[in-house]
Amino acid sequence: MENQQLNLCACCANTFAQNDSYCISCGYPLQGTNEQQENHIANRAVKEIDLIDLNKKVETACNSLYWIAGIIGVSSIIGYFTLTDEDDVLIFLITTVIMVGAFLALAVWSKTKPTTALISGLSLYVIIQLLNLIADPSSIIRGIIFKIIIIVYLIKGVMAVLEAEKIKKELNIK
Amino acid sequence: MEKQHIDATFCENCQSEILVNNNFCRVCGQAQNLKEVSFHANKKQNLQQIALFFAIEIIVCISALLIENHTIAISLFFDFVMAITAILFFCNNWSENKFILKWPNFSIKKVVGLVVVTVIVSYIVQFLVGHLNRFIFNEDYSFYFTYAFHKYGNYIMVLSVALLPALFEELAYRGFLMQRLLNIVDEKEAIYITSILFFFIHFSMISFFWMLPFGLLLAYVRIKTNTLWYGVIMHFFFNLTACFVEIYDFSNLGF
Repeated sequence: MENQQLNLCACCANTFAQNDSYCISCGYPLQGTNEQQENHIANRAVKEIDLIDLNKKVETACNSLYWIAGIIGVSSIIGYFTLTDEDDVLIFLITTVIMVGAFLALAVWSKTKPTTALISGLSLYVIIQLLNLIADPSSIIRGIIFKIIIIVYLIKGVMAVLEAEKIKKELNIK
Repeated sequence: MEKQHIDATFCENCQSEILVNNNFCRVCGQAQNLKEVSFHANKKQNLQQIALFFAIEIIVCISALLIENHTIAISLFFDFVMAITAILFFCNNWSENKFILKWPNFSIKKVVGLVVVTVIVSYIVQFLVGHLNRFIFNEDYSFYFTYAFHKYGNYIMVLSVALLPALFEELAYRGFLMQRLLNIVDEKEAIYITSILFFFIHFSMISFFWMLPFGLLLAYVRIKTNTLWYGVIMHFFFNLTACFVEIYDFSNLGF
């Protein structure tokens, strides 16, 4: 092929051969009508925008793990000064350190393994709230709006991770 | 210009010859990852099943916590509820799950090796946990008293602490949960998630230094060997060692 012309796909800018009907990289109908070509580009654009939205949701969910760690830390510092002599300081400190550490670790981990970190974070948060509820039924009321927001963000995050992977596969992005 | 050699394959839709690294067919435009797309389409349903399963597990375990005086009947009742939950969820997708109940490449060497390691590790863990509990909580936690005053107490304890949990926790976590997760995430993440949820459901923060690694090992063995039974045996011997340590401790105290 001496006089090879550089053919670039109008959608993904990949090179294509003269006799190809569709782009092998993005499925763009090279020989299709104007309408088909515009539809293809529009469909992909919609999915790409969805993907950006979903990734934002995942990021919010990952950040809410930091928020949980922070809130537990702050409320423990407040709790520390209201401890009575009968309470065991050592148990209180160990519990706090482990919980804050666990959520911080999950938050860091969520950057590389969002599904695992978010599912684990959500389960741990729900379990902690339920155990608190048993120990002290009035604890559920404290900061209930914040708790609900956190749980909603985490659930949305888990769903968004899965949805984002699905869209990536539909777009056939590796 | 010399072209790199890339294997040819056929389009999933129109059977035209294409290259394996083509994302779409150049003749009909069909995406070449139909299987992956359909795999991802079923994720939500799998996730809902997992959420339902774990919610039930949490409710059962929390109700067990709410009861202050554990009698033999109550312990057995909760074992029974957990067993039923595990069986129901596992059998819901029986045709998909049944293969892990088979035992291909049975190896007595592997079994003996794993059992020896498990017993040693379990003994060390019991020793450490006993000391930790005394050091931090100033108390001796023991499940022995529940069973100590029954004629067949020791046998019932082995049944309720070692045999039933080994069978049904494995069926639930390394069986049902692992199978569902493999439909959502890759093997590595499935191993992580099952072990983390397995650790959470025990409601014991202190035990993270051994429960997490133990869960990871069980999940890893399950993935590598494609059978549930190595895990069941290891889990059984782990808990059995704990039972024997309790029986031994209390017989020394003159019970």
